Amino acid sequence: MTTLEVRNLVKQFHGSERSAVNDISFELSEDEILALVGPSGCGKTTTLRLIAGLERPDSGLIRLNDRVVASDSIFVPPEQRGVGMVFQDHALFPHLTVFENVAFGLRGRKPDEIRTIVGEMLHLVGLLPLSKRYPHALSGGERQRVALARALAPRPILLLMDEPFSSLDADLRTEVREHVRGILKSMRATVVFVTHDQDEALFMGDRLAVLNKGELEQIGTPEEIFHESNTRFVAKFMGDSDFLRGRVTPNGIQTEIGLLNQLVDLPAGTSVEIALRADDIDFEIDGSGNSLIVARFFRGAFNLYRLRLNSGQILHAFTDHTKILPVGARVQARVSAEHPLTVFS
Amino acid sequence: MEITRANQFSLQRLRTYPISPRLAIAAGLVALFVAVPLVYIFIRALGAEPEAWQRLLQTRIWKLLSNTLLLAAAVTSGALVTGISMAWLTERTDLPGRKIFRWMLAMPLAVPAYIGGIVHLALLRPRGGVIPQFLESLFGQPVPTPSPLGFWGAAFILTLFMYPYVYLLSGAAFRTLHASLEEAARVFGRTPMQTLFQVTLPALRPGLTAGALLVALDILAEYGTVALLRYETFSSAIFVQLSGRYDRSAASILSGILVALSILILWGELRLQGQARFTQMESNWRPAPLVALGKWRIPALLLVLGVVSASLLVPFTVLLIWSIQAFLDPQTMATLFRTGSQGFGSYVWNSLWSSGAAAVIAVMLSLPVALLAVRYPSRFSRFISRLCQVGYAIPGVVIALSLVLLVNRALPFLYATPFVVVIAYVLRHMPQAVRASESALNQLSPSLEEASRTLGRTSLQTLIQVTMPLILPGLLAGGSLVFLTSLKELPATLLLRPAGFDTLAVRVWVWAGEGFYFQAAPAALLLVLVSALPLSFLLRREQIFK
Repeated sequence: MTTLEVRNLVKQFHGSERSAVNDISFELSEDEILALVGPSGCGKTTTLRLIAGLERPDSGLIRLNDRVVASDSIFVPPEQRGVGMVFQDHALFPHLTVFENVAFGLRGRKPDEIRTIVGEMLHLVGLLPLSKRYPHALSGGERQRVALARALAPRPILLLMDEPFSSLDADLRTEVREHVRGILKSMRATVVFVTHDQDEALFMGDRLAVLNKGELEQIGTPEEIFHESNTRFVAKFMGDSDFLRGRVTPNGIQTEIGLLNQLVDLPAGTSVEIALRADDIDFEIDGSGNSLIVARFFRGAFNLYRLRLNSGQILHAFTDHTKILPVGARVQARVSAEHPLTVFS
Repeated sequence: MEITRANQFSLQRLRTYPISPRLAIAAGLVALFVAVPLVYIFIRALGAEPEAWQRLLQTRIWKLLSNTLLLAAAVTSGALVTGISMAWLTERTDLPGRKIFRWMLAMPLAVPAYIGGIVHLALLRPRGGVIPQFLESLFGQPVPTPSPLGFWGAAFILTLFMYPYVYLLSGAAFRTLHASLEEAARVFGRTPMQTLFQVTLPALRPGLTAGALLVALDILAEYGTVALLRYETFSSAIFVQLSGRYDRSAASILSGILVALSILILWGELRLQGQARFTQMESNWRPAPLVALGKWRIPALLLVLGVVSASLLVPFTVLLIWSIQAFLDPQTMATLFRTGSQGFGSYVWNSLWSSGAAAVIAVMLSLPVALLAVRYPSRFSRFISRLCQVGYAIPGVVIALSLVLLVNRALPFLYATPFVVVIAYVLRHMPQAVRASESALNQLSPSLEEASRTLGRTSLQTLIQVTMPLILPGLLAGGSLVFLTSLKELPATLLLRPAGFDTLAVRVWVWAGEGFYFQAAPAALLLVLVSALPLSFLLRREQIFK
């Protein structure tokens, strides 16, 4: 069943030349987590706020559980939409205790019921012992979980999360996101999750929507997005791809570092670009090789080498951490990938 | 533009959330309430008979203009030099006792300048002053002493009671300015003194200039001190036209010019406000290292002691001694504690309720204006917010004139009631409430309000359940400021009060003017003590007193 439908959404801010959100459409089914990912200014947060009702769209339609909440003629205010939201700064009410924060969205229910629900939610996020504390006496990770419990307590149709982990320290972030994904899945929550971090998007999302300059570049499963990027932007943003020029021949694609044995549905002679990630390239020392090592970055478990081909083209390649070669050495590079590569014409 | 530039949260995203018409109308009505007396003064000034204009232009205006501007310039520079040097000594050096001095240097804000003037005049008056008399009896002949009368006297007294504004601003700035800025200057080879003049002070300039312009506005509005020390400015001239000669068209013309001048200064101040961003405390803030005064410790200590004595200790001690003498004298006691509406209790009560009512009304009126300006930044909301700060530029005498004329014409049933006095306080002091409310709202992340909306509260419920409880301390601070300044307000009270409506400020002024210093002292002392309460609440909120 479709929980959220967004159709042709457009939003332009006053005084800005280009639309923050430009004709975005997507759908979200029940129990699904959609990660909206893109660089800052791509319109992901604006999309989220439009869904929440915190911004009014210029045009387009938003439907929640078959109820139109925003269109040219309708605008349902946020308090009547039944969505929950976790804010980037958590936005816990500093004048209320943890218990009161979580109970804030449960107004109008019986006191017993409120106590039960809040207790369940706090138990779920593991904060039951802290229910009498005030937000300032909590750690960053605890605040994060209170914000989640508060947003989930009224059982929203849809949960919106705006960069919820960005205020946490890096070491805490991976731990918390695993915990949070577990909670969301156990609650069978339908979630739109905004992040600028590709790893986080790949981890959190059942599906990913990649946004760029207000437009939706691609939507799909993490695997589709990563391996079958539709556009150069997606390939670049999601996996730090390099783009190697080549020419289509009847046997494959001829490139500077050899023939790529991959058939494409393009007439011979077309010039194309192949998206290559660092794990798609291999190289070995060769005095008359086709490229030069310009830099090495030690990444702990592996080495990342930057290679310059004779044409000036830059490629990156991983080797394992024990293989250390000097900068300036000439090497022979080749495509080592055993899966089909993404080709852009 | 400048005001919203300081507004960190609304900058993140220009919100286009539909502006609430209720809020816009409420803010618009407040602005209208503020604008009417202002516009009316200009109408009356321009509508005055040409002969009146000609007469004034030929005789009075130029002298008044030069007198007023000269005094404003002198006091502003005096307050800047005193305020900045006191702040630097207490914040950035190893001055002994600097923690206590920090408080004592701010406390003169609780002493109305005219009360300080009364004390210094009684001490130093050329004939009959306490000090000249003492010296004469000591040496057997008159010894020349500096006179507190005239330009230099007025400049001296006003500087003594105005410098705390600059002192507080620069103290907070010295405290919060990022230490790394000065460390960078030191690394690039500047001495501590060069750093102060080439880096620190220039970095603080917009904020300090804004503070100085507020002092200048206060001087344009000052009536009590200049009248007491017989130095004629626009304000005192208007007062005389209104109370003595009762020449309303001359008063209107002078008021029009004075307000035009003030608005010019206020405009500059408003432009600078937005640039004054030094009070930003960053999380990695650390205090700057103290400068060792070395052999300058004693002179510096004497300097600070001198300022504290002249502006706080001497006035307080003298008032205390006079009060004790008053209590020891049965006749004075009898006059003080007459029963009925003429007694001491009624002065206190009148002071408290009129200033308290003004504070509550001003804060309530400031709320819609601040909400509109902070949460829905636009040309319109900026205009409304600035219009509501115009009270800074309307001196008490001018507000009194405008209200006398307006109330007579439009609301005669209000004429000669204490409510007109309260309205005058609200008009004059609302800018402080507007600024306090705006700054409180600016510190409140809009995401808290948005969270409340997504959790099922309407905008009005959000205002009451989330916004109001969280900005309450800021609103209290604004209210305290309005209360404090209303308590001190002299000219508007004198001109607008109905017969028999005496406040502490009025009684001090009248009794001291008749020479009954002992009788005036308890009222003056109480006024200072009552002002000290909201003041210490305000100071505790400031960074430098933490």
